[in-house]
Amino acid sequence: MQALGLQTYIWNNNVRSILLLAGFPILLMGMIAALEAAAAAAGMVQVPPGASLAGLILGSAPLAIVVAVVWFAIAYLCNQAIIDGVTGARAVERGDAPELYNLLENLCISRGLRTPTLRIIETDGMNAFASGLHEGRFSVTVTRGLLDNLDRDELEAVLAHELSHIINRDVRTMVVAAVFVGIITLICQLAFRALYWGSWGGLRVRSRDRSGNLGLFLMLAVVIAAVGYLLAIVVQMALSRRREYVADAGSVQLTKNPDAMISALMKVAGHEHLEAPQSVRAMFFEDRDEGVFGLFVTHPPIAKRIAALQQYAGGRSAEPALPASAPAAAPIRPGPWSDPAEASPEPPGAPDHKPGPWG
Amino acid sequence: MTILIVIVVIVVVLGLMAIGTYNRLVALRQNTNEAFADIDVQLKQRLDLVPNLVETVKGYAGHERGTLDEVTQARAAAASAGTVDSKIAAENALSASLGRLMAVAEAYPDLKANANFMNLQSQLSDIENKLAAARRYFNNAVREFNASIQAFPAVLFAAAMGFQPREFFDLGADRAAAASAPQVKF
Repeated sequence: MQALGLQTYIWNNNVRSILLLAGFPILLMGMIAALEAAAAAAGMVQVPPGASLAGLILGSAPLAIVVAVVWFAIAYLCNQAIIDGVTGARAVERGDAPELYNLLENLCISRGLRTPTLRIIETDGMNAFASGLHEGRFSVTVTRGLLDNLDRDELEAVLAHELSHIINRDVRTMVVAAVFVGIITLICQLAFRALYWGSWGGLRVRSRDRSGNLGLFLMLAVVIAAVGYLLAIVVQMALSRRREYVADAGSVQLTKNPDAMISALMKVAGHEHLEAPQSVRAMFFEDRDEGVFGLFVTHPPIAKRIAALQQYAGGRSAEPALPASAPAAAPIRPGPWSDPAEASPEPPGAPDHKPGPWG
Repeated sequence: MTILIVIVVIVVVLGLMAIGTYNRLVALRQNTNEAFADIDVQLKQRLDLVPNLVETVKGYAGHERGTLDEVTQARAAAASAGTVDSKIAAENALSASLGRLMAVAEAYPDLKANANFMNLQSQLSDIENKLAAARRYFNNAVREFNASIQAFPAVLFAAAMGFQPREFFDLGADRAAAASAPQVKF
């Protein structure tokens, strides 16, 4: 289906997100199948194919499951405290920042949501993020730099972006992705450990000719695990970027003001620095990280986010809307929605602007 | 037997596609309704502002009766408009007459310096800004809805299901009238 406007654009991105999420179990099954094939190729499996590998995985499962459960419990109970700890965020009440609180509350009322906890980080960097896994624990965090540099409309757009993450339960989606990446990481570690220990017999695999074929299997296993791990990270990051596009569009649905979102993105560009581990940064309003061909970045480039807003949300430029301006029924030129940036979606009559001078 | 199964599968798939398309159209139409409700909020605020504005201008430029009456009448027409389309037309007329009133006010320095008038003027400009944003969003939603009911496969049954294309909230011809100078009659 082609994206014809904001709503269809959001639907398309949601479908893409589901496909990406479905990629994890497929990837996991693919890895296991590849490992079994490698085992068969190395001539290590005689009776039911895959039994040795299943044994290998199951053999280490109890410890892994305990570790995973404990890790998940700690993360579930303390995620907010951990995030607050690494970013230095503190919760504020209505009285501490009445204007900001009202902005957020008004947005929530329009969607019938409980107002999330508002947190502020005292830093000059301009950024924001949403956190929390279930109703009542949701939280929106903004930095002091953001409050100082953005005007009211832009701030509202940023809050609406974070609120969209909450409405869409994106934090939960990314947790699911992280769990899959964790499982694949575990397989990876098993393969590497087996490579170290396998040579001196620590690995009990039913093998007729241990000295010859075990080495081949372990080499293949390491390659499969490494490729699987890389693919898992690529899918995770692609999912994160997809959710950013949806949150940008959701923000416009809440505020009705694509221009404020665009100018907020332009102001934040280049000033988003906020000290935090990679896993936390994925949740930020904007994050720049040098990656290989853009495959390992959590956020799409600002220019692409602005281009998408212009093409699907009717955004024009960083300038505020003029009073009584014509509705500018710019014909949308739906390009392939996978790459909105290449469609050069400048509506006719829009004042020229190039992202850059604002950065 | 195999042919029967194939036919059943095709019918089921087509049925699911039709249901999906229908639900999308309903959601998109609801989108336009919600977008219009947002415009309505701003229009109501503007309607509440107009009597104050007229009274203030009257105090300084009472003999500009024609322009003032025009604004009052346009406001009354906009307030009583029932359907969406007639509302759009009436509000556009009100926009045009308000534009003429503001142009007339330019000729009265005392009026322009009046604190109350300045306050009302800034309120009006704030509402007009929000109105412009809400209208743009509405037009965007309408464009999406109209394009969706004309896209395949929706085009096959959209009209039969009662999905009619919606009107844009366009200033159109009224905008040209608002921009041109007020007529002078002797």
